[in-house]
Amino acid sequence: MTDISLTTTSIRASQRGRAQFVGLACLLACAAIVPIFFGSYSVALVRDALLFSLLAIALDFLWGKTGVLSFGHAAFFGAGAYGVAVVSTSLGAEPAIASWAGLVVGIGTAVLVSLVVGYFLIFGRVRGAYFTIVTLALAVITDHIVVGWSKVTGGNAGLLGVLPLYFPGAEGPAPLSSTVHFYFVLAVVSGVALALWLQCRGRYGAVLRAIADNEMRAQALGHNTSLHLLVVFVVSAAIAALGGGLYAATVGFVAPDIVGLMLSTQAIIWVAIGGRGTIVGPIVATVLVLWLEQHISSINTKLWPLAIGALFISCVFVFPNGILATTGDLLVRFRGRSRGKP
Amino acid sequence: MICDGSAIRSARLCWGETEVRRSPLNAYKLMDAPITVALNAMTLISILMLVGLGLAVIFGLMGIINLSHGEFVTIGAFSVAIIQGFGGSFWLALLVAPLVGASVGFLIERSLIRFLYSRPLATILATWGLSLIIQQSLQLAFGAAPQRIDSPITASVDLFGANYPLYRIVMIALASAIIVASYLLIKRTRFGLDLRTVIQNRDMAECLGIDTGRVYMIAFSLGAALAAIAGALIAPLTAVIAQMGVNYLARSFFVVIVGGAGSVPGVVAGSAVVGGAETLLNYAIPATIAQALVLVLAVIIVRLKPDGLVRG
Repeated sequence: MTDISLTTTSIRASQRGRAQFVGLACLLACAAIVPIFFGSYSVALVRDALLFSLLAIALDFLWGKTGVLSFGHAAFFGAGAYGVAVVSTSLGAEPAIASWAGLVVGIGTAVLVSLVVGYFLIFGRVRGAYFTIVTLALAVITDHIVVGWSKVTGGNAGLLGVLPLYFPGAEGPAPLSSTVHFYFVLAVVSGVALALWLQCRGRYGAVLRAIADNEMRAQALGHNTSLHLLVVFVVSAAIAALGGGLYAATVGFVAPDIVGLMLSTQAIIWVAIGGRGTIVGPIVATVLVLWLEQHISSINTKLWPLAIGALFISCVFVFPNGILATTGDLLVRFRGRSRGKP
Repeated sequence: MICDGSAIRSARLCWGETEVRRSPLNAYKLMDAPITVALNAMTLISILMLVGLGLAVIFGLMGIINLSHGEFVTIGAFSVAIIQGFGGSFWLALLVAPLVGASVGFLIERSLIRFLYSRPLATILATWGLSLIIQQSLQLAFGAAPQRIDSPITASVDLFGANYPLYRIVMIALASAIIVASYLLIKRTRFGLDLRTVIQNRDMAECLGIDTGRVYMIAFSLGAALAAIAGALIAPLTAVIAQMGVNYLARSFFVVIVGGAGSVPGVVAGSAVVGGAETLLNYAIPATIAQALVLVLAVIIVRLKPDGLVRG
């Protein structure tokens, strides 16, 4: 009996894995045709959503795969963004390399911070709600530093004139046109999502799932669970910082909005609505929620917080596993019934 | 840009900004007498104690991560503004505020939280959503400008050679009295015994005939009422705006975690560390950096003493 149920589970898991891959491919294909059919406004909208979806992917890798919820991921996103902004606006570096150097600085900062914080917390056996609340403090601390250290970060006003990423072109390095930039962002998001999907497909994903299910048991099976969690935390922070850095270089300015607790919680809602651990779900949800935000805010900017609050509550009660999984389950049930199987 | 929505602007956890604008709590002079420093610290500590105590019941004892706890503070402060707006006195408002807080807490517990006791992550999401809804509704109803609050006592007294506002001393005394009363409630009454039983083992408590759902309901409303009292007490000293609650959210969690989840002495110890450190640091360095340092300190304490300073 156990063997049979085990096989069914693994088949189901592999089916779900394949469904995720197909979903990811479809999604990226849909995104790829946006510049052909829609105007520059929509292109910019989807591009920004894709950049934010890197944050969602990062959080999904941590929260979805290992069950550790971080409220501080906007801090890493912000580290990437401010890395690019500070290096490219105030250090007076060569424009061709400034943003790239900033990206490296930003990701490096995020890796360093996540390594130190993660080491302290994860090897200190801080888990569950306590981890969540300490990372919440991380978001707050970063917010304080950004607002308070105005000489470097521009304080509440933020930094304007962040240089775009320059690529070696025909006549020396040149910034990309907006369409090419869109595809560059799309390629980065696809690359990151695919890499994570491939990585988590097999044994490694199973180890992470084991840690999420029962860390002590995984430990008893010989896995260094703390090390695994630390690696996931740091990689996740690096992905978030990559998203932030690209965001700053793309939109051209940064403000404290992109480090605060609010962005962290928005990232959580993207992952929660998209479905934890699916990677493709959070990308879809990011695009959808940001699109919804634009529309609702254009009616009345004051309505959006109400809507997002309602979204939070509804995703708890109506679709606890995310919109995609809920629709997927409904489809599976429907198909099963038509085949005469329960 | 997308991230520029009003949600982010309005609901950012911006201690820095509000704290700097709020003059009375921060108007420190370097030459203040030690007794004034101590009283300033006591003011903040007593508010944190009340907010933290509400959270200690809800988070520390019941294990619910209630991210809308800060909104109970806001509701308490707005109750004062509304009652004063209708010509009522501050002291009447101080009585009404906990009732309003408890009613809202009751409604929230019955309509949302009681379905989520076995799903801690879902509670985080639902209460955060709730917090955004309460904030935005208050702002839509009352506007973004700070509410007008009249201070009930404007006199100041000489205390050990320092001239200090009488209201703050009354506030410290009231907060201390409430803390003692809560301690007695949990340790000495039938309800406190039931509560402690339910917390130790919910199933077993149910076997013993305790209506656990009712105990949770009362405890949650009580926690909300305590936060609302804190909000009413702090109202004359701060800018009463819809987002004021978030200022207290993370701090109150740290009070509870640093002090030791779920005990009244723990809350006192936690508030003393968090509030005391913040007040003292405020004298030396800018307020934003001081608060960041306090949080770093709290993280270090959590790392070194995961069970808190006082074991419950």
